Amino acid sequence: MHKGYLCLVLHGHLPFVRHPEYADFLEEDWLYEAITETYIPLIWVFEGLTRDNIDFRLTMTLSPTLLSMLGDELLQERYLAHINKLIELSGKEIERTTWQPAFQNLAYIYQRQFTASRDTFLRYNRNLVFAFKKFQDMGKLEIITCGATHGYFPLMDICRESLRAQVKVAVSHYESVFGRKPKGIWLPECGYSPGHDAILKEAGLAYFFGDAHAVLHGTPRPKYGVFAPVYCKGTGVACFGRDLESSKQVWSSIEGYPGDYNYREFYRDIGFDLEYDYIKPYIHPDGVRINTGIKYYRITGDNNHKEPYVPQWARDKAAEHAGNFMFNRQKQVEYLYDIMQKKPIIVSPYDAELFGHWWYEGPQWLDFLIRKVVCDQDELRLITPSEYLAENPRNQVITPSLSSWGWKGYSEMWLQGANDWIYRHLHTASFRMTELVKRFPDANGLLKRTLNQALRELLLAQSSDWAFIMGTGTHTAYAIKRTKDHLLRFLRLYEEIHTDSVDENWLRDIEHKDNIFPNIDYRVHQ
Amino acid sequence: MAAAGRGKIRNKKISIKKKLRRIFKRVSKKPVKTIKAKNVSLGMEEVIIEKEKFSHQQAQPAPHVFTEELPAKYGRDTLVLQVRDPWWIHAYWELKSSTMEGIKASIGQKDFSCARRVLRVYDVSNIIFDGTNAHRSFDIHINEYADSWYIDVGIPGRSWCVDLGLLLADGRFITILRSNIVNTPIDGPSSITDEEWMIPEDMFARLYGMGFGFGKTSPVGKIWRQRLLSSWSGGVASLASPAGIRKPAEKKFWLVVNCELIVYGATEPDARVTVCGRNIKLRKDGTFTLRFALPDGKQVIPVEAHSADGTDERKITPVVSRETK
Repeated sequence: MHKGYLCLVLHGHLPFVRHPEYADFLEEDWLYEAITETYIPLIWVFEGLTRDNIDFRLTMTLSPTLLSMLGDELLQERYLAHINKLIELSGKEIERTTWQPAFQNLAYIYQRQFTASRDTFLRYNRNLVFAFKKFQDMGKLEIITCGATHGYFPLMDICRESLRAQVKVAVSHYESVFGRKPKGIWLPECGYSPGHDAILKEAGLAYFFGDAHAVLHGTPRPKYGVFAPVYCKGTGVACFGRDLESSKQVWSSIEGYPGDYNYREFYRDIGFDLEYDYIKPYIHPDGVRINTGIKYYRITGDNNHKEPYVPQWARDKAAEHAGNFMFNRQKQVEYLYDIMQKKPIIVSPYDAELFGHWWYEGPQWLDFLIRKVVCDQDELRLITPSEYLAENPRNQVITPSLSSWGWKGYSEMWLQGANDWIYRHLHTASFRMTELVKRFPDANGLLKRTLNQALRELLLAQSSDWAFIMGTGTHTAYAIKRTKDHLLRFLRLYEEIHTDSVDENWLRDIEHKDNIFPNIDYRVHQ
Repeated sequence: MAAAGRGKIRNKKISIKKKLRRIFKRVSKKPVKTIKAKNVSLGMEEVIIEKEKFSHQQAQPAPHVFTEELPAKYGRDTLVLQVRDPWWIHAYWELKSSTMEGIKASIGQKDFSCARRVLRVYDVSNIIFDGTNAHRSFDIHINEYADSWYIDVGIPGRSWCVDLGLLLADGRFITILRSNIVNTPIDGPSSITDEEWMIPEDMFARLYGMGFGFGKTSPVGKIWRQRLLSSWSGGVASLASPAGIRKPAEKKFWLVVNCELIVYGATEPDARVTVCGRNIKLRKDGTFTLRFALPDGKQVIPVEAHSADGTDERKITPVVSRETK
């Protein structure tokens, strides 16, 4: 008889980066790398579990920007070219490492992996969304939505119309992709401010996730801490709090699994290590060295000396770490069950891109963990939030606290010296969008297209990723440019609408560039 | 990332006296970096790792693309407050020059020139603020060029409103702009322990359908209240210890030397060529180039070519040795 639930959540998101105006655009690689290193390996994990009749449950965000990119024909075409180049490079590597068996073995593994990635990509007709949808339709995967462009909600509080647009555009986009309504939402960066649940309720969303202190610092005190969801006062939308203990085991560099010396070293990539002329065709056309994804070393130790990666050792470690994670959750659940006299739910959310991209063995770890939990024990049961609520409908009512899962737990990551200048512009644009919707409640034709594009540009400017990158303080040029570009496009559209002088050629050009959310309806911004 | 290192640990157990002193003594353009014991290490890990999603920026050259600038002003009178965390709020504002002209005209040039520009911060918790009934307020002196400010409010879990105004020599305060009201979160567990429970209506209806419920009076939405007797169940790990971050060790002066060997040649374009026993692909003109990482030791590299009709063959075997001292 199980004594508690484990709710594994992967948050999959990348900002919308798509530049048809360039033949090759560096930042588009974020998507291509994540496809090869994270999304496809996760799909393989789900396929393997299904093949072996493992009845798993996993909750996963696929942000609307990520869904849009995965479904975009241009980016699909470019991914295919990207993976073909990697297959070619791994072939050359097999030859180059003829007298270095430890590396040659890895080169073969990379070649097999890249080739299999291409096969999988083609098998799903180039659209990996179909793969995730398949597992959702089977009842194994619960896919939730996110803010339309991952705007950070607490810093949009002053213009609720934008917040509503972020939620409603996301929900209708989800419906168009998956043919059903999303049950829950991942609030971008877990950013929650009291009252935002009302907008979630309007959009038909039953639950969201908060960081631990969203619940623990809620009012009144949550009786069960983060180990039971709470309903937001006034709306009844459920909030599931993050369990910090299980987060720490994976994230922390000291106690965390990904720092194990047997795991693959992220920072040693042949894109930086090999002779320039040889690697040049596989790095950026401008000649800038970048990661290729072929990495030959294990972490080895604390200094710069690195030894070759040994896949079997890493795999053994991933299995051991999965066992350790499960053991700790079992102990946690036993302990909590005693105190609570009720089955606790442990909510363990992670950035999906952590798995595979940063922590190369992450998907293996997840595979081992799920298999062990399902087959080897009966204290823990995997569950999704909607299943939990169906089984445990009676929950405490509180008002969760303002919070995020970012640096220091509140809004400082997105509101600091390096990025606070954006808000006067973003908010002004939001107010102007609201004004346009009021003025044109029922536009048609060219005006409607212009208004729809204005909302697209506003949403794209709102991505929290830009403020995040500015906040990290290094190489911020692209993030600043994206913020400005979308705002400037918005402002020009606003002026042209006001002066009734819409430049249709220019409109067509930006509709083509920023083609996200083809069915957007500007009137959601109210 | 330096921000974390620069920070000071804020003492959680600040006495009431100190708190009050702080309320009346906060004037700083740049916020003191505060690090809460909670979430520091974990939060930073996440920043470092999330940053790696965007890792190519490490290699990105400065772009030469010209971006048009955003307007410096939008011709509005506005003062917006946002919450940064329980202890700090942020204000930004824009003031039309005509608004200032109007105020100058109404109070007179003499008073105007002696007036000081201030942000007046009101604690408006649990009241309907009418400009006069704040629990307390404090002033921050600013200059006329400032257009944003981080304000240390000193006490978490309160509601705040800010006026941008002029403080005249005679002590009168003239409000120019008034902000929205923001609520800062509390910085620990709530002191309120009353519980309220709920079962959503649709869930309850389903439970009825499953035969769990009896009677007509639905308890759905009914509020159970009872004092919490048992202590709050924490079970949350302490994250107080600052953790280091895995990154490449600092490189100072360093040297790396590797050797690679290029083997190249040519034959008839339609010939079949093997190198070390493996078939290789020829270019259209019959040339070929192979590249090998060259470890220490002796390498024997037999290159064999067979003509397309199978009648001819040639074999050349370079022997290369590398020794690193």
